[in-house]
Amino acid sequence: MLLARNLKQIAARSPWLYRINSGSCNGCDVELATTACIPRYDVERLGCQYCGSPRHADIVLITGPLNRRVKNAVLRLWEEIPDPKVTVAVGVCPISGGIFRESYAVCAPVDQYLPIDVNVPGCPPRPQAIIEGVAQAIEIWRTRL
Amino acid sequence: MPTDLLILVSVLIFPGGLFAFSLGLMLKGVDRRVAARLQGRVGPPLLQPAFDLIKLGFKRTMVPDSAAPGVFLAAPLIGTVAMLLAVALVPIAGVYTPDPRLGNLLVLLYLLSVPGVALMLAGSASGSPFGAVGFSREMALMLAYEATIVLVVAAVGLRTGLAEGGVVTFSLAEIVRHQQEHGAYLLDPLMWPALGAFLFFYPANLGIVPFDIPEAETEILEGPLLEYSGPALALFKVMSALKTVVVLSLGIALFCPIAPHGIAGLAVWLASMVVLLAVGISAVRVSIGRMRIDQAFSFFLKWPLLLAAASLTVVVVV
Amino acid sequence: MNVLSLLGRNLRHGPYTEPFPFGPAPTAERFRGRVVFDATTCEGCKICERVCPAGAIKFSKTKDGLAFALWHNSCVFCGNCEFHCPTGSVHQTTDWHLAHAQARKYALVELGLLPNQICSACGATALATAPSLRGVTPPLSPEETVTLKSMCPKCRAKFLKARRAKP
Repeated sequence: MLLARNLKQIAARSPWLYRINSGSCNGCDVELATTACIPRYDVERLGCQYCGSPRHADIVLITGPLNRRVKNAVLRLWEEIPDPKVTVAVGVCPISGGIFRESYAVCAPVDQYLPIDVNVPGCPPRPQAIIEGVAQAIEIWRTRL
Repeated sequence: MPTDLLILVSVLIFPGGLFAFSLGLMLKGVDRRVAARLQGRVGPPLLQPAFDLIKLGFKRTMVPDSAAPGVFLAAPLIGTVAMLLAVALVPIAGVYTPDPRLGNLLVLLYLLSVPGVALMLAGSASGSPFGAVGFSREMALMLAYEATIVLVVAAVGLRTGLAEGGVVTFSLAEIVRHQQEHGAYLLDPLMWPALGAFLFFYPANLGIVPFDIPEAETEILEGPLLEYSGPALALFKVMSALKTVVVLSLGIALFCPIAPHGIAGLAVWLASMVVLLAVGISAVRVSIGRMRIDQAFSFFLKWPLLLAAASLTVVVVV
Repeated sequence: MNVLSLLGRNLRHGPYTEPFPFGPAPTAERFRGRVVFDATTCEGCKICERVCPAGAIKFSKTKDGLAFALWHNSCVFCGNCEFHCPTGSVHQTTDWHLAHAQARKYALVELGLLPNQICSACGATALATAPSLRGVTPPLSPEETVTLKSMCPKCRAKFLKARRAKP
């Protein structure tokens, strides 16, 4: 029991990130890329790593207001991610629709369809805010392991 | 009986098995750390690859509907076991000499190509188009670099064999012993073409950046590994860590196996592994970009093959 | 060889990484972060609601007065509200610590209330907002401002008309 709990504590130090762009303007995606690619922010310190495949993901970062066209693809992609996982909404678009709210082409907020755990508002949020959100997501993920 | 026991120990504990596993993970951690430092970042903790493995142990392994489940799950196992055996085949100068019954350099060459084959199996069995692309790229790349390594090994074996007054030798232990007595091939100008060819071979075999085309993260989403998750993916990570140990120590054994006996020899070996990793993998990985598969293919059939052939000719003629 | 000198420089200099999740992060002085609202200076002109592109600001009439609400999860931090506010009651701070758990999603609201009052002249119920009559000549004296503030809009108009008619 104790060993399993210790192992879980260790496992929580390796959250792999996966980005889903659900029709974002790419502002938030650029900020996500800076957290990994710009030495100043370096999200790899937390053990995070952006992975290319949904099967490898632990923390899902959703950007964009969930366009009607992309909705089914996003939901399917989210189902492909093995449990346990934590979902983070990055930017105001997935949280509330932001500037696109009440548009006929947009299904925001995303939490109507997916269980969101952490919200990081901003348009786009600054890289530090994203790292803060990821840190909160790691805390939630630790409890789910 | 004791020799059988020794073989078992060398495969399961030292230098294969447990030792190579932890060394491989540590090397991966050092690689990520050094690469981060070269890019001006802090980088992950040294034990990050171990954390990743433990994490993957807690995740679910998903088998896609379109996959062939048997092959899909067996592929990482085949690759890992092959690498486990391969580690025990490489001598550590002054510390470890493999039992001749385990196999020679030719067996090692065959074992070294098994992870590539395992990746191909994984890619084709996963039933995903990205996996199929990764499969074809891996095959093309393997065709390109296998010829080089065979010629390099032949050149080294031939030079040792001729110097020992016999014919070509494929015993790594003998190659290491010869170099310990007569000086490393690293300082022998006749072997420099072979060394150059080997320096092109190992990034391709390890799948690091200029030649990581089959597992290209940003274009085909890690290709064959795309559909893997949980413990199966962890096995692939173990395979890749073990492969790093095998290829680096093969390089040391072929070209620079000069070390004192005992613990000091082990320390020298470890230090040279880390230096080789930092200079030959991390620094290369952060400073150049990925080639296209056609570029890599024609590149390998040009320069490394030319170098390897030249070294073989030089050895035969001189 | 440029790459090599760059790598060497990085190694010599050490990491450029900010300590952020484990330490403070530098914030620019004019960073456009969380919006705060000051109800005591607000006139209730609702220009911020009108110019807000994301519809994050909402004024609603309640029986206690005029309620202001700004949902940070809808705000796009454009700064239009601060730019257009005639009295500077809406103000953007440099606070960017807005990441929150889902349970707090609808609690992340900036609230304010412009209370109602009884007009000191006619006894009707009206908003207790401060008038900003910048174009009035001669300028209002502090006593006149206090008087005006205690009146309803109709009585204010009467007061100003009477003031203009004065020689």
